[in-house]
Amino acid sequence: MDVLMNDDERMIADSAREFMDAECPPALVRAMETDPLGYPKELWAKVAELGWQGMCLPENSGGSNMPLVYLGLVLREAGRALAPLPLHSTAVASLAIARDGSEAQQATYLPDVVAGKSIMTWALTEDDPRLIPEAVKMQAKAHGEHFVLNGVKLFVDNFPAADHVLVAARTESGSKGAQGLTIFIVDAKSKGISEKGLITLAKDRQSEVTFKDVSVPKANIIGEVGAGWPIIERMLDRGTALLCAQMVGAARKDIEMAFEYAKFREAFGQPIGAFQSVQHMCADMQMWVDGAELLTFEALWKLDQGLPASVEVSQAKAFCNEKCEAAVRQSQTIHGGIGFMMEFDLQLWFRRVSAWSMRLGTAFEHRARIAHALIDFPGTVILGRPVPVVPESA
Amino acid sequence: MDFGYTPQQEALRREVRQFIRDNMTPDLAEEMDVHANAERPRGTSPSAHEFYRKIYERGWLGITYPKAYGGQGGDRLTQYIVEEEFTRAGVNIALNGSGAPAIMAAGTEEQKQYYIPRLIKREISFCLGFTEPHAGADLANLKCSAVRDGDYYVINGQKMYTTAAHSATHIYLMARTDRSAPKHDGISIFLIPMDAPGITVRPLWTIQNNPTAPLPTTYGASRTNETFFDDVRVHKSCLLGEENKGWRVGSMGLNLDRVGASRYLISVRRDEDIVNFVKSTRFDGFEPGKDPAIRDKIAEMWIEAQVCRLMTMRSMSIVERGGKFTYEGSAEKVWAPEHGVRTTEAITQMLGPYGSLLRTSPHAIEDGVFAHNVMGSFQSGINHGSVQVMRDQVARRGLGMPSSRKSRKAEG
Repeated sequence: MDVLMNDDERMIADSAREFMDAECPPALVRAMETDPLGYPKELWAKVAELGWQGMCLPENSGGSNMPLVYLGLVLREAGRALAPLPLHSTAVASLAIARDGSEAQQATYLPDVVAGKSIMTWALTEDDPRLIPEAVKMQAKAHGEHFVLNGVKLFVDNFPAADHVLVAARTESGSKGAQGLTIFIVDAKSKGISEKGLITLAKDRQSEVTFKDVSVPKANIIGEVGAGWPIIERMLDRGTALLCAQMVGAARKDIEMAFEYAKFREAFGQPIGAFQSVQHMCADMQMWVDGAELLTFEALWKLDQGLPASVEVSQAKAFCNEKCEAAVRQSQTIHGGIGFMMEFDLQLWFRRVSAWSMRLGTAFEHRARIAHALIDFPGTVILGRPVPVVPESA
Repeated sequence: MDFGYTPQQEALRREVRQFIRDNMTPDLAEEMDVHANAERPRGTSPSAHEFYRKIYERGWLGITYPKAYGGQGGDRLTQYIVEEEFTRAGVNIALNGSGAPAIMAAGTEEQKQYYIPRLIKREISFCLGFTEPHAGADLANLKCSAVRDGDYYVINGQKMYTTAAHSATHIYLMARTDRSAPKHDGISIFLIPMDAPGITVRPLWTIQNNPTAPLPTTYGASRTNETFFDDVRVHKSCLLGEENKGWRVGSMGLNLDRVGASRYLISVRRDEDIVNFVKSTRFDGFEPGKDPAIRDKIAEMWIEAQVCRLMTMRSMSIVERGGKFTYEGSAEKVWAPEHGVRTTEAITQMLGPYGSLLRTSPHAIEDGVFAHNVMGSFQSGINHGSVQVMRDQVARRGLGMPSSRKSRKAEG
């Protein structure tokens, strides 16, 4: 038990921060808000040289096979800089292939991801925004050696830049719930796919993606036909924890800007940071982001250990959604009018933390998962021990 | 980062649990409970002494203290694990609030040799003599005076909220030894036997006073005290650390008191209680555990409780690495007590009128523990540095916020 970074972790985080400080100024973040692809190719190539895309991918595909905690640290620093890179969606999708895909699939797709030549994303959600199997309606019908996909996906990250997209669809007609769901690796440029950009608070790339008679080879199914939901659940847990890391990084930078502002901005003859009302706001902001960070890295650590981590992931995201959001809102308050100005950089952080708080599960959804684990299983719960309760073998 | 325990640490935890199962009787549980009926000094009966002797023989008292002073020379995480298990069973084995950390840090060799082994074996105990009627959060404003007279000091004054003064053998007293110095620079610490002539203890009954207080209640005892010093003459060897340097000694002791298993557990045990309660309870047609609003609130409080735990783990990690807190101990001392209040209040809204029934009432649930906590849960946010003072410390020490014009003037 030592919740602080060890030397290796500190080195990874420090070097990622230095790199981002040098390569990703707010001007770049602004420029990419109106860029059709939403990311700078040069920077993507540079982070591939640093090995970020392949950080947790297997060594036989050129990756470094490092723990998720390390990738979490890198995403924290990327989030701190609001790096306009398709790093999170690529990590989420490529990790699903690495952990649940066949050797052939890994050999086909992962080396290009490691090299920075393939951008990935996933397409799960449709009209119903909840992250439950019942929300997936898209149909995939068998046709010889192919499945044919029809349906509309929403909130697909980085689609204009993506080379491959993991798509969840129903391969059993009339199936409901987790039964009959299959996950496909789909070439994003396939015939029959059309894209419409959504315009988000973060001004990042999210899309409505329509699949009309899109033909996907059976070889592109991850795992077994009809058994995709557990793979999706694992993908969502990793993705959610990694998004938390990104939020924590962004929220931390945001509140640090408020702390610095409060130290020199004067009102009534003294820095506003000398007023206790402001000091106590700042203390709360620090504690919220600290709490979010601790919960996030505990979740990532548990995932790395192969321990059940769904509850920990939900703890982190529910808390991040509300507390990182509250922290950056208070930061806006401390900045007063200037924080509201487009030309002032703070808003870049505020808009992104807000948008991220609405993705990969609301606070209500995550708390419902936690409540289920706490209440709907037998046994006496003890804080700090696994829930659902695992009987102790004394 | 490592958020887990080693197999050895898990084994130790199981060993402590088994020890408690083997040795704890209902009578003993009531006798030992941290917050049992405050009229009767706790853990002082022959059976309690026997129990502590057994714990001591297992090497579970004073784990972090050097062997030369009767401790185990162990690490803080081991102490934490053992302390957590005993605290859950209602047994206080920690030495926080005892003066022991400050004595170790600032005491003479003679003081360490005398006090530390006796504190560890629980042959003696300290109450805390800090707060006064006009010196609470602003502790350095204290007036209780100690005037040097040859080899002695003569002490006069009044101390408030001297919890356990009626059962402690000693008091860990903060008094003014130099009236002319700036307020932080004229303070000294004394270690004084409670039977010294001139000390009078009078009970102060709190709003939690209930002759049949529920066991175990989470927050504090129903009785505290005021303690008067009338020309109390103590030998100069009672001084802890240097004369007029007591502020640093005292605040360091407090900092160490703000962290640890027992402080964190008092703020989160109701979270466990409510989950376990709703799992098995229905009121006629109403099952609180099935109500979506209640489930959402329980999960929200559970997450907050995890943050309490993780902040404690962070403090442990810092101390274990030999580091010092900048603000982390203060943050923990804001977050945990305020969580304790939030969860207590949330629970009352889950239970409705049942939440107000005290232990002796018909229809009381869980021994009235939730109702009792309504009156006591905020106590932890007041004692040992209020949450407001702690927030000041987070902002100023942790974030480098400037002090206000007013306090700059006051500090000269």
